[in-house]
Order: sequence, then structure tokens, then C-alpha cells
Amino acid sequence: MEAADLLALLDQQQFRRLRVIENLLREKKTVSTLYWGLRYRLLYLIALDKKMARGALDAPAQVLIKRGWAETGETPDQVRLTAAGATEQAAHAEHPQTWANWGMLDLLAARQRLLLAVQVVSQYAHSAKRYYPLATDLETRQAVRNWFHQSKSAQLPEQLFDSLKSSLEKLPPVTAGVVTDLFTGHGQPGLTADQLALSQERTAWSVTLMQFDGVMQIAQDARESDHPLSALFRPLWQSPVTRSAQQTLAAVSQGRRVEQIATVRQIKPGTAREHLLEAAILLPLAQFPYDWLLTPPMRAAFAASLTGPIDTWQYTALPQALQDRYTFFDFRLYAIWCDKRGVGDA
Amino acid sequence: MLEPLATSLEKVFGFTKFREGQQAALTSLEAGQDTLAVLPTGAGKTLIYQLYGYRHQGCVLIISPLLSLMNDQVDRMRMAGFKRVAAINSLTSYRERQVIMRHLGEYQFLFMSPEMLAQPQMLAQVKQLQLSLLVIDEAHCIVQWGPDFRPEYLLLGAIRTQLQQPLTLMLTATAGQTTRQEIAKQLRSQPEIVAESVDRPNIFLDVEQVADESEKQERLTALVGQLQGPGVVYFSSKQQASDTALTLQQQTGVQAAAYHAGLSSEDRFKIQQQFMAGQLDVICATSAFGMGIDKNDVRYVIHYHLPADFESYAQEIGRAGRDGLPSVAILLYASGDEQLPLMLGQANRPEPETIHRYYARPQAFSEDDAAIALLAFYKRHGISEAAVVNLFSRRERERNRALAQMLKYVCEPRCLRQNWLAAFDEQSPAHHERCCSPAGMTPDFEQLGLLASHKSDPVAQDGDWVARLRRLF
Repeated sequence: MEAADLLALLDQQQFRRLRVIENLLREKKTVSTLYWGLRYRLLYLIALDKKMARGALDAPAQVLIKRGWAETGETPDQVRLTAAGATEQAAHAEHPQTWANWGMLDLLAARQRLLLAVQVVSQYAHSAKRYYPLATDLETRQAVRNWFHQSKSAQLPEQLFDSLKSSLEKLPPVTAGVVTDLFTGHGQPGLTADQLALSQERTAWSVTLMQFDGVMQIAQDARESDHPLSALFRPLWQSPVTRSAQQTLAAVSQGRRVEQIATVRQIKPGTAREHLLEAAILLPLAQFPYDWLLTPPMRAAFAASLTGPIDTWQYTALPQALQDRYTFFDFRLYAIWCDKRGVGDA
Repeated sequence: MLEPLATSLEKVFGFTKFREGQQAALTSLEAGQDTLAVLPTGAGKTLIYQLYGYRHQGCVLIISPLLSLMNDQVDRMRMAGFKRVAAINSLTSYRERQVIMRHLGEYQFLFMSPEMLAQPQMLAQVKQLQLSLLVIDEAHCIVQWGPDFRPEYLLLGAIRTQLQQPLTLMLTATAGQTTRQEIAKQLRSQPEIVAESVDRPNIFLDVEQVADESEKQERLTALVGQLQGPGVVYFSSKQQASDTALTLQQQTGVQAAAYHAGLSSEDRFKIQQQFMAGQLDVICATSAFGMGIDKNDVRYVIHYHLPADFESYAQEIGRAGRDGLPSVAILLYASGDEQLPLMLGQANRPEPETIHRYYARPQAFSEDDAAIALLAFYKRHGISEAAVVNLFSRRERERNRALAQMLKYVCEPRCLRQNWLAAFDEQSPAHHERCCSPAGMTPDFEQLGLLASHKSDPVAQDGDWVARLRRLF
């Protein structure tokens, strides 16, 4: 990731911690990372660069600071944009169009499947039987092989072309071009992200984000059952919440208390609470039992004490009586609930 | 009674004639004789074990050193029509490995890294297989890489014994007498040797001495701008390969790309295919590029860094001119260049003092250090301290000798080819004007027909994206 890429992830009002952004990219999903990912509106970054080295954002941040586009806060890890940085961001930074749903799909696997499927159908369209397939993992190869055997027909190339075209038309033309040029097919090896970045004078990361945008748009359109890629993508839709957290959530929704669930599932009560916070952060408002966990008196008590922007709220700054009555879990859940309803960010 | 070799060849590959060395190697194997085949790059070494596997029941087990290439090899086998093929190495995912292990007995060809085969559980499984042939691919690695890089290669002899000495084919493109003897000794075999000359008369040899790094870069830029592509420039560093690809593209307008083990497999695939499809003029590569690249019309190979030994050098320049047309191999040398291979060679080598302290108190050391990991490996395999010290000093002498030989080549005043072939115990034909140009002489690339007449077209990005998408289907 380069300075220009980091610029797009920062904000002028909010100090953002580089380590949180790094942990999202590297898929280090602690509740704290997820909570701040929610507050930064950057949860779509989860797991997109698992191989990123620790501290890899420090150098790009330094570049931004040197150019006068960013400044640090209380610690060097906290960074926000200066006015000049905000102007620069508004002028140049691009954002993926489909990011809101990235957590719902195994995006990396979908990308692999799409690339191989396009190659296979392209070769098929040109009646080529012997060619080098893209090097992918076994699971992708098997999924694409099964899909191809079931979908193979003389119309398939045309259908796939039509559906890809219609998906990519919904994106900016430059994104559509990038997604197209990264495909491999008959007589077309395809370009690497670095090559495209060079020829278009943008960063490799921005090229990669555009590709994810394209994959997501195609996958969304493939939810229609008559779409040629429907069966290939179907198993890749997933809940953004881990299986274990889903189980805890289901038990709570049935009216069980956290301590009971912890005993039954042989986990610590603290772990069960972390599961619930994870689910609250990652799921839409309506899919989480806030009414059950945040009682009206609790809401009223917090509302009376917690005023001002959410990011300034601190549990330890609450009146002692309130701290004695409610736990950090209650406090954090209340903040998530407010965040999801757009309260406190005025 | 088996059908004649020529019949099999025609049936499987549709060829009517063997290339030089293939038939001799197959005949030797058919006679039940371990065989060391020293055949130049592009001679079709793979065909030897493919055809043998086709003619005999059981599994052909191929030990191959380069992880990143193993999957390519599997793909090539599939392209050639062999379906029961698998590769298993440290890059293979757990799930994929499970699947392969369950079907282990069903494969006709199995590719494996030496590390994987050295694992006791894996070895136990392999012992159950009916092996028709054991193939040691790139067998020179036993000598080149063994003691200080891939210690598992040293275990291959013992493993071979454990596997009841199966019929063994050792393959390499380059091996002088010393290397041949060492390979045979390590593998505890007395192989029949099938060797073709390493000489490639259509490759003009050129050594150019430059004053320093910046002059070297200038000369490289000039050469790449001037010579007919496609070409390959070899580097010892991934970073430098990437950086140079970028500057070459910007300064000379050629289509250049980097290729090294640091790239993702998708990027390696694309670069390789672009090169094969004639969309690139030059590849800036590390030694990861090459083994297994079938491109006949590579016109030049330039070495930016001094190779560590003649074997590597011969392998790498062997990528040029497989079509038999005039080609050139250029070695750029600035005084002091030998420091880099020396340093790279030293990197993993522990001092006798360290070896002594390690053997006295192994628990006091961390195996995170590559040199210590190597010592731990030897100790685990029961090799004594004295033997290890001896091993390293012998290896160092060997490496210094190999490097000195390279330097002698660089300084050769009369005939580079004679110098080069002598290293492989071969006689050279008499020197002539299309043979070579030692340092200090100026080669006439125009006279040699090596100047560029055309460059590759940039990768097509014309038309709007819909048209480009259309072309795919």
C-alpha cells in the first residue's frame, strides 16, 4: 500500500489508528479492531491483504505527513488529514462502489473462481482444449470444473459475455476496463496489477480494489438464478460473523442469558460477550437483539451521561454509580447501537 | 514383450524421431541400468521419463527442487495427455495434500520436493508404492545446493537405499566430470552416463568489462535498446530485477517485465504467458526463471551479476537460441563483482567456532537462524561435528574454485568458448569470428545479425473495454 492508498482511508475529523487499519487488512479480528473498523467505516478492508507486514503503513503515513497532508495525534499511531490532505483526497481518492457488501462474500475465493471460469470459457469459446490453466488452489479448480461441466453449452460464452458486460456497465468505465484487462483468456495472458498500475499511473492497490469492486458487482448480479455464474458463487456467500459467534447469538436470541450460554457451550462468559459484540458490529441493526440486551433504563442512563461525539465516549469517565451498575460490554454495545442508528455523529 | 521405443514415441507424442540423447537414455533405462543424462536445456529431458512411465507399470516418482515450478510441470504433463499426475510440496495446501495422500497409489507420475520425501511419514507411504522409476530432476543441485542450501538433497542417497534402490534416472543440463562423480556418489549409484555436448554453436559468447555500477546500467540499457529481442537479463537480486524492468521500460520503450520468486503465482503465470505470446521484449529475472520455459526464439541472455559457477551460467545462457538461429550470451562484469556471489555463499555458512559451540550446547541456539537450522539438521541426522566442519570447508573450497573458474572466463583473453567448454571437459572447435568476443574486444552485433529490426507490440489495450471483453469470448 502506498501513500495515495492510505490517503483514501483517512479522515479530517477523526484520528484513525494505523494499527487498526493494518489489523483489518491482516484479518486480526479482535473486538477492538472491529469496533474501530466500524467507526472508521473501513470494515470492508477485512482480510484483503493478509500478507501485509506489521508496520507496513508507517512509511506511507510518513510520506503523507511530510507532504503536509496528514498529522499525528496524541500518539504517532493516530493520524488524521490536514485541510490540504482533505482537498487532495477529495480530488483524487476513489472508493469502491460495492464495499458495503464485501463482508458477505468470500471475496478472495470469488475472485479466484471468476478468473479461472473466465479463462476456461474463453478457451472453450475458441475451441482450445490444451492450455495452461491459471495456477489456483485445489478447491477453486474443483469448483470451476464442476460448474463448467454442468453449464457447458454452445451458448455459455455468449451468456457469460452478456452478463459480465451488464455487471461491469454498472461500474465506472475505468473500473470496468481494469477488471477486463486483469482477465486471462484465449490468446490473452492478461495484465498483472503492477502492469496496469504503471500504464494507468495509479497504484497497484487501487487496481486491486477495482478488481474486487468488479468481482462483487458480478457476484451480486449472479444471485439471480438464471445468471451463468450463479451456481459458482452461491457457496461463497457467508455471514460476516464467525460460526462460534453465530451460535452464541442464536442462543441469546432464544432468550438465554450470557452466563447460561457460557456454561452450556463451555466457553468463558467474556468470550460469549465478545461474540455478541462481534455480531453487533458486523450485522445490520435489525439482525441483532438490541431490545433484549439494552433495556430501556440502561439506554436512558447512558443517554443522560453520554453526550457529544461517540469517539469521545469513555467508560472510565462515566459516573462511578453507572460503572457499578453497567459493564464495559453494556457501554460498548450502547455505542454500537448508537453508531448503527447514526446517533452521536452529528 | 514391449513394443519398440519408436512405436511408443509415435503413439504417445506423434513424433517419428528421438532427439539426441533421448533414445540412448531410454535404452539404458530399459536395460535396467541407472542413468545419468546430461542433456542441454531444450533437449527434451522430460520426454524420457514420460515415455518410460507410459511403458511400465507403477509410479514414476520425480524429485524436483523448485517448488514454484512443480505445478507448472504437472500442468505440462496434463497438456501432454498424462492425467494421473500430482505434485506435493510445502506449498501444497493441507486439504489438497490429504486428497493426494488418499489417492497416492493411483498416480502414474508423482512430483515431490526433497524435503517432503525426507519426512518419515511420507517416506513410509512412498515405500508402499510400486515405483517404476525414480527421477532426480536438476541433479546438479545435489552438488550446487546440497551442503549449505538444501540439505535434504544429501539424504537422497539414504532414501534411495530405503526405497530398495529403485531404477534411477538423474537429469541435468550441465555437469562436468567432478559434478557427475559427485552426483553418482551422493545417490550411491553407478549410472550409465548419457551426455551430449553443452556447446551451443549458434550462441555468440561475449564478456564486457565496465568500470562500475552506473556504467554497467548504461551499457545494459544500450544493449537492450539495440539488440533484437526477446531477451532475458539475469540478476542475483529480486529487487534489482524489478527496478531494472521498470527503468528499461521507461528509458528504452521496450516491453519489459520482472520475474522472480517474490511474485504471486498469478503474476508469474501472466508474465510467462506474455513472454511466450511475444508481448514482451525482455524479462528481468532471477534464477527462478528458466527451468521449464519453452521459448525457442530467445535472442539474447545478459548476466548483470556474476553467476556463482559455470553450471548455472550454462543453464541460463542455454535459454537462448533454441531455434538454432544466431543468438548471444553477454556477461557484464565490473571489477569486484565477485564479492556478491562470495557474500551470498557465505550467508548460510557457520564458522567452525559456532559449529563447536552449537554441538556443545545446542539448546542455547535458536533455529530461526538459517545457519543454526542447518547445523540442527546435520546433528539430527547423526553427522559429527568434525564431519560438519569438514563438509563446510570442502564446500567452501569447491565454491571458491567454481567462482575462480568464472573469473577466469571473464578474464579469458583469446577464446571464451574454449575456456567454457574446458570447464566441462570438452574440446572446443577452432576459434572463428562468429564464436566469441572476450573482454576488451568489441563485438559487431550488426555483422552477427543480432540488431533489432522490430520490437514487440505493447499488450493490446486498444478499443473500449467492451471490445476487449468481447475478444475473450
